[in-house]
Amino acid sequence: MSIFKEHKTTADRSASDRSRHKKKIEKAIREGIHDIVADESIIGQDGKKKIKIPVKGIKEYRFVYGDNDTNKQVGSAPGKNIRKGQQIGRADKKKPGKGDKAGNEAGEEYYDVEISLEELAAYLFDSLNLPDLEKKRFTNIIGEKMKRHGYRNQGIRPRLDKKETLKKKLKRKNAAKRTGTYNEDEDERFPFHESDLRYKFITETPKENSNAVIFFMMDVSGSMGVQKKFIARSFFFLLYQFLRYKYDKIEVVFIAHTTEAKEVSEEEFFSRGQSGGTFISAAPELAVEIMNKRYHPSSWNIYAFHGSDGDNWTEDNEKALDYTQRLKDKSQMYGFIEIKPTGGQEWMSWSGGNTMMKVYIPLVDNKFKTILLQSKDDIWPAFVKLFGGMQ
Amino acid sequence: MSDWTVKELEEWDERVCNVAADFGLDWFPINYDICDYYEMIGHMSYHGLPSHYDHWSYGKSFERTHQMYNHGQSGLPYELIINSNPSIAYLMKENPLYLQVLIMAHCVGHSDFFKNNLTFENTRPDSSVSRFRNAKKRIKSYMEDPSIGIDKVEDLLDNLHSIKYQVNRNSTARISHNDVREELSERLKAGEDIGVDINQVPLRREYDLLAFFMEQGKHFSDWELDVINIVREESLYFIPQIKTKIMNEGWASYWHYTIMNELKLPSEMHLPFIKSHNQVIRPHLGGINPYHLGFEMFQKLDKEFGRDEIFMIREVFHDESFLRNYLDLDQMIELNLFSYSKNRKKKAYVIDEISDEDGWKTVKNNLIKQTGVGGIPKMFIEVLEPGGTLVLGHDHDGRDLELNYANVVVNNVAKIWEDVVKLETIIEEEPWEI
Repeated sequence: MSIFKEHKTTADRSASDRSRHKKKIEKAIREGIHDIVADESIIGQDGKKKIKIPVKGIKEYRFVYGDNDTNKQVGSAPGKNIRKGQQIGRADKKKPGKGDKAGNEAGEEYYDVEISLEELAAYLFDSLNLPDLEKKRFTNIIGEKMKRHGYRNQGIRPRLDKKETLKKKLKRKNAAKRTGTYNEDEDERFPFHESDLRYKFITETPKENSNAVIFFMMDVSGSMGVQKKFIARSFFFLLYQFLRYKYDKIEVVFIAHTTEAKEVSEEEFFSRGQSGGTFISAAPELAVEIMNKRYHPSSWNIYAFHGSDGDNWTEDNEKALDYTQRLKDKSQMYGFIEIKPTGGQEWMSWSGGNTMMKVYIPLVDNKFKTILLQSKDDIWPAFVKLFGGMQ
Repeated sequence: MSDWTVKELEEWDERVCNVAADFGLDWFPINYDICDYYEMIGHMSYHGLPSHYDHWSYGKSFERTHQMYNHGQSGLPYELIINSNPSIAYLMKENPLYLQVLIMAHCVGHSDFFKNNLTFENTRPDSSVSRFRNAKKRIKSYMEDPSIGIDKVEDLLDNLHSIKYQVNRNSTARISHNDVREELSERLKAGEDIGVDINQVPLRREYDLLAFFMEQGKHFSDWELDVINIVREESLYFIPQIKTKIMNEGWASYWHYTIMNELKLPSEMHLPFIKSHNQVIRPHLGGINPYHLGFEMFQKLDKEFGRDEIFMIREVFHDESFLRNYLDLDQMIELNLFSYSKNRKKKAYVIDEISDEDGWKTVKNNLIKQTGVGGIPKMFIEVLEPGGTLVLGHDHDGRDLELNYANVVVNNVAKIWEDVVKLETIIEEEPWEI
């Protein structure tokens, strides 16, 4: 006869293997970040939007048979009418009727992880281990906020609370009735008394301002090719997601520029291709202007990022330094991102190697950083470096 | 909660065992572990083994099953039993009584198959549980060893898992290179043409990649050799189960059906039993359900040849030979088996052969090809070049490899071998090299 055991322990035996698996997924997501942003309009998207991420590397690869026409498979269809040449399923879909698994199943395992942008951001940034992030980089603007804080019996006329005052009077009236000092039928009225008056009490509390505006600036002149824009876009995506993760309210201003700057929509920002030269200064100049009009630094945390291939007309350098300095003074962080894909001939650009990164050296400090991106693989390390984290 | 007590299970077990013994079934004693669905998924992730070494892939397996279960995409399997003596099987608390009885009857069938089928001859069921427990301990000790660490062990396991079934597929023992060489040397001395350079490694096609690595790899440290051996041993343990999936499930289903009918269940148990049984052995439209195919075949064989014959069949056959010998045209028509493939022009799957007078042999051959280990491409070591480069070959039987996968696997093998690894195969009738 058999033995029956009912054990009491509820040991979760796969817990540690699950956590190793989760780490793998997170790593794969970070490595796949450039694929994620490839064809999505992401900046300014609702965080609830779901995107599919092809998670690579946690597939378990084995030798398996392909899905080619020499690979004949067998299925059953009792009671169905079938004939040769009959079509039974579309090849771009999943295979029809997958059999039981016995360690020998072939074909595609799909590991598209469907994830919302919010979850993605959490995945990415929780694992960043940014040291002292809040203290160092995200000192919020302190503003003052008026807040109601109970009632007082003295105050200014406009803050008189009629409802509370009436309540107080009714209380006094009822008390008077009980003690017999007031008889409703005899005494005609029961007047308000000085001590009934209730005033709203308002305190001024210091408040952290949790609004942020990001100025994304980009050189859209002829020298910014598709590949460079793609890298810029990926990097901007990360910045946007990260900042949005940190602030309650976030707005984005896109500034595209050649020798002139213009505020544009996200779509235009990434698709604009123009001929003509470059004045780097044009972008921070417009950003300062917009900031003064719409995003006063006393109530907005300002972030500015400028993507460019580093070329500038030499006569503009001084002006660029000047406006960048002004914008930097008002910003929590300002990043200049120089995108120079390796392998092209663009190293020897007509500006004779005099890149903006060099021009900007005097400005570099905790707030202002220059970043060189040579390929999409640089994006994540550069991002981590920018925010002082460790990978 | 449950509509049964352990005492009731014991009573029903006694009845099941008595009936099964009367029919002549001969099984290992069974230990039933009563667990909840969450623990069940946990055990399933480790193939039902009470202890197994850690690897993230089992965590992945858990997540997938758990997710599917929560989304209602799949029910949990009714039964989970491992090949050991005593057999270990699991019963979910959530199951109603009739289902527990059905599972117990099913498990008796499996256990009988494990104990008597020749494919399992060398699986050493007496020690299987302790072997897996020891392997787990050793792997854990490597992971905790500061000079090795979890990352190195995990990387090696990742790479090994991608070729884990590239081991000896027969139950016969592998002959070492030295023994082959000795034998061939004798024949060479006797003046025979042995058709190969005596200094070549390997001298014969080597299908056991993992054994070859352990034998010929000079760069492995002791812990690496042990890990390779652990993975290989596990594959050798599981290959008989892969080779007998249809027979084993068919046999267990045939017996749970027969035993349950013999038990004269009260009608409040009988009707749900019939419903569950039909669910288990239903055909998968467009696919092969091993429970269905195996059950139908054993039912038919029992009618045609009798009990003694099917007991003999469960002893000496495995799925490939079982189908080859006993699947006939009548049954193929009844099961309506057909063969299909991807048609590139139409971008669709198209039926290219059905079970009629003309086509049934083709359909049958295709079925046999995909059955058991036949579903796993068979690779071998072609040659170890004197410079260290390893050349892999592929027994091409008309089916091409999936190249995206093959590329990654070859890369993984190179990481194990720590030298250049090449693969020669055939793609669309042309030689192909990775």
